[in-house]
Amino acid sequence: MKELIIALIAGVGAGGLYAMLGAGLVVAFRGSGVINFAHGAVAAYAAYTFDELRENGDVYLPWFDPIPEFGFLKTLRINNLPVKLHLGEDPSTWLAVAVALLMSAFIGLLMHFLVFRPLRNAPTLGKVIGSVGVMLYLSSIIAVNFGGQNRADVGFGGFTTDSPAVEILGGTIPRSNFYLLAAAVVMGAAVWALYRFTRFGISTRAADENEKGAALLGYSPQFIAGANWVLASVLAGAAGVLFIHKTQPALFVLFVVPALGAALFGNLSSVPGATVGGLLIGIAASGGVELADKGWWPAWLPAEGVRNTVPLLVIILILYFRGDKLPIRGSISIGRQPRAPESNNVLIGLGVCVGIAILLSNIFVSSWEAILTTSLLATLFMFSLVVLVGYLGQISLVQFSLAGVAAFTMTRLAADGTKVRPNDFFVNTGWDLPDPLAALGAVIVATIVGLVVGIPALRIRGVQLAVVTLSAVIALEDILIRNTTLLGEGAKSTNPTPEPSWFGQYVGAFNPDTNRTDYWKYTAFLILAVSLVGVAVANLRRGAMGRKFLAVRANERAAAAAGIDVSKTKMLGFGISSAIAGIAGVLFAYKLPAVSSDNFSVFAGLALLAFAYLGGITTIGGAVIGGLLVAGGLSAETLGVHFEDIDVAYINAVGAIGLIINAIVTGGEGIAMLQTDQGKHILAGLRRDPTIAPPDSVLNLTQEEIQGDVEGALV
Amino acid sequence: MTKNILETDGLTVTFGGLNANDSVDLAVPEGTFVGLIGPNGAGKTTFIDAITGYVGMSAGTATFDGEDIGALKPHERAGKGLIRTFQSLELFEDLSVRDNLLVAGYPTKWYTFILDMLHMTPKNQEIEERVDWALDILNLTDVADAMPTDLPHGRRKLVGVARALAAKPKLILLDEPAAGLDTTESTNLGRQLRTFLDHDMSVFLIDHDMGLVLSVCDYIYVLDFGQIIAQGTPAEIREDPAVKAAYLGEQAGEVQAQEADRIRESQQEEVPS
Repeated sequence: MKELIIALIAGVGAGGLYAMLGAGLVVAFRGSGVINFAHGAVAAYAAYTFDELRENGDVYLPWFDPIPEFGFLKTLRINNLPVKLHLGEDPSTWLAVAVALLMSAFIGLLMHFLVFRPLRNAPTLGKVIGSVGVMLYLSSIIAVNFGGQNRADVGFGGFTTDSPAVEILGGTIPRSNFYLLAAAVVMGAAVWALYRFTRFGISTRAADENEKGAALLGYSPQFIAGANWVLASVLAGAAGVLFIHKTQPALFVLFVVPALGAALFGNLSSVPGATVGGLLIGIAASGGVELADKGWWPAWLPAEGVRNTVPLLVIILILYFRGDKLPIRGSISIGRQPRAPESNNVLIGLGVCVGIAILLSNIFVSSWEAILTTSLLATLFMFSLVVLVGYLGQISLVQFSLAGVAAFTMTRLAADGTKVRPNDFFVNTGWDLPDPLAALGAVIVATIVGLVVGIPALRIRGVQLAVVTLSAVIALEDILIRNTTLLGEGAKSTNPTPEPSWFGQYVGAFNPDTNRTDYWKYTAFLILAVSLVGVAVANLRRGAMGRKFLAVRANERAAAAAGIDVSKTKMLGFGISSAIAGIAGVLFAYKLPAVSSDNFSVFAGLALLAFAYLGGITTIGGAVIGGLLVAGGLSAETLGVHFEDIDVAYINAVGAIGLIINAIVTGGEGIAMLQTDQGKHILAGLRRDPTIAPPDSVLNLTQEEIQGDVEGALV
Repeated sequence: MTKNILETDGLTVTFGGLNANDSVDLAVPEGTFVGLIGPNGAGKTTFIDAITGYVGMSAGTATFDGEDIGALKPHERAGKGLIRTFQSLELFEDLSVRDNLLVAGYPTKWYTFILDMLHMTPKNQEIEERVDWALDILNLTDVADAMPTDLPHGRRKLVGVARALAAKPKLILLDEPAAGLDTTESTNLGRQLRTFLDHDMSVFLIDHDMGLVLSVCDYIYVLDFGQIIAQGTPAEIREDPAVKAAYLGEQAGEVQAQEADRIRESQQEEVPS
């Protein structure tokens, strides 16, 4: 009991961080109506900036050199975009703090002008994609500019690793935990006072309530939005700098999840509410982790899982009980969705794609086959997004985790307790099921988990569903994927994949003759799976149930009036999509000698979502294009021949930029839709052809914007 | 005496202390055309929302086809043949006009998606024909393959009505189908509405267009501040002093009545049935 109380008190440290981040989320939301998934990434960038400056005296601007010094490009000697500035050998701590905060402010300005201002009239979907795009962009840029190595920043002021301990009830808690609590309360109070008492705050509140009304009174809504973005980002940066002594800066990116819980606790509008919510989440999580250490705690629920489940539960409970089964009359519509035309000539398209794939697999030797299968796997996975996000309109960020669940479950079900390969580190005990059954079982488990994750979607819609599913990603990773009790000893690092054999045929990718992942039967097996699932998903769109999916996506109220059971239809969509994700996960595992949770990380999932959107999330063709674009896939590696060793993070950063541009330009329709009529209007608008009038819904683009899109498509 | 397809008894809907519907007793006899009129904010749409399950009833009962439907969900009520349209368009904008109608009419089982994926969903001839009929009766056949967003407002409105017809209603609840229609469209719609009765359904109409309501309805209820203040045949409603005071106004009443006569005459000329 005493330990529990100590743990609860110690929770104010992490709680303080969540509170500061949550307050920033509220500020950004009030200023612009955007739920900023990138908020944690801003904190991370500031923390890295702080540490890098103290360590090396360097400042990295938040972009990357568009022309990397790889291969022949080195000889071009093009005047590159400056990225690194050297500020001297031993800058003072306070300079580092100031620079970190300035950097956050700068990122806030960039976000406002480059992303959210152009998206201000976009439908909800566009804003979600834009904000996920910024999150992916910033985390990729962090990987490019700051690399993957661990940081060991000791902090500054009272916020240091060697902060003296306070004795409470015989236990010790670092004093810095209480400083964090104090910082959160002071910051929250300051922002509250700013909104309550200053002209700026009042005008923000006015614009929040009624943008047109505020504009009529002489306030510029765009100035207000921009100023709030800067304020929100500075709050994020301050949180990052104050908390850096506790953790690795990279982890800040995902602290956006408990911060979202905090912000929702404040109903996305109250800063004091968010502060209280953040502190409560930190305290509850710390208490939960303490309980998980007890003997009676079930072993299948690991302590790390508890920490990340608390914000998920808070978010789901708040949103679920605030939501309605059907949107009420006059509630804000979700806005225009990307069109989802029927795929014509499915068989012809399929024939061409399969032909090309087979041709490529025969021409390409060794690693090329691995690259081809990377694209095929990505396409196969993206089919699950086509069903769920494209047809049914449910923005789920969790599907790739379900692929991971399937992959790990498969290794567990198929394992027979013997060493698969001589150099395997772990030996997995399992059920020793024959492979088709193990695969089937894994897909069923992924489907069931997907259905459970889908339950909140019955009442939670649009951007809020994106929030829930993002928090589910974090929770699933610790509860299921990295769960050694359930999924085998290797779950935390690597689980060896048993050699897959279907009806006596070895279908794994690993070729013992060449020691590479290029076994042709695997490629053929994968091509078969992609073809079957692709045709099935295309047919679904043309059928009676597919029509109902689109009806639910377009208008839940009207769908119910047409006799459609909206809840069941959503569940069906989650089930189908999760099963497809599961199939992709199993086949992904067949490619790998061992599966690791890193293969199914949040960022891998978000990158796949980004490329799926970029290709076109509503069609089969879009998934094929998306599969070509992914890092390690055909298009990236074709260029990679020239770039020698191109970093995954570069590809993802470019993908994120493409995603943001896609959201701004087409409302998220993607490359596959550019060949349709509306796409032609967009292109015609670019050429400023006066004879073709663009439809109202299409924004006019600048030359630079389309160029960016085309570049995104090419990389 | 025919039975009532829809009957409400003391139906009350309360929004935060305000009775949007206050103890409404209303009946739609099978095979008849019943209208509900009332000024803006009288609670007409709330009434439709309540009987179709979009808002909860605070008190009272609603009986449809002899069954208490108070506990059913909206789609279950629709499945029983209680089909509504919406005042605002609420079409499925990603589906063609024809698909908008097919969504409503096509029965699906849990395994339909498997048949879909194999492209083996059997065509349901009866429903295809019903959809063709619904498109035809509302003059939408020529735009069957167009997207709703490409149509002018008036025709989109008709797509909403056609979608309800395709769902094989026993009772169709029309929420201001003529709002936003021009005079010609409105007159045409009035002509078609009566013919709905020949296809095994009853009709319940809410509209602002008094000419339309007085000309097509067999029986009319008048709602004001959530309460039924009058009911009767069109002729009785036209003369009712309470209705005149609450809604029509002396002058307007005359104009509307003349308009109703004009529509009725044009119907008799062109639709001899």
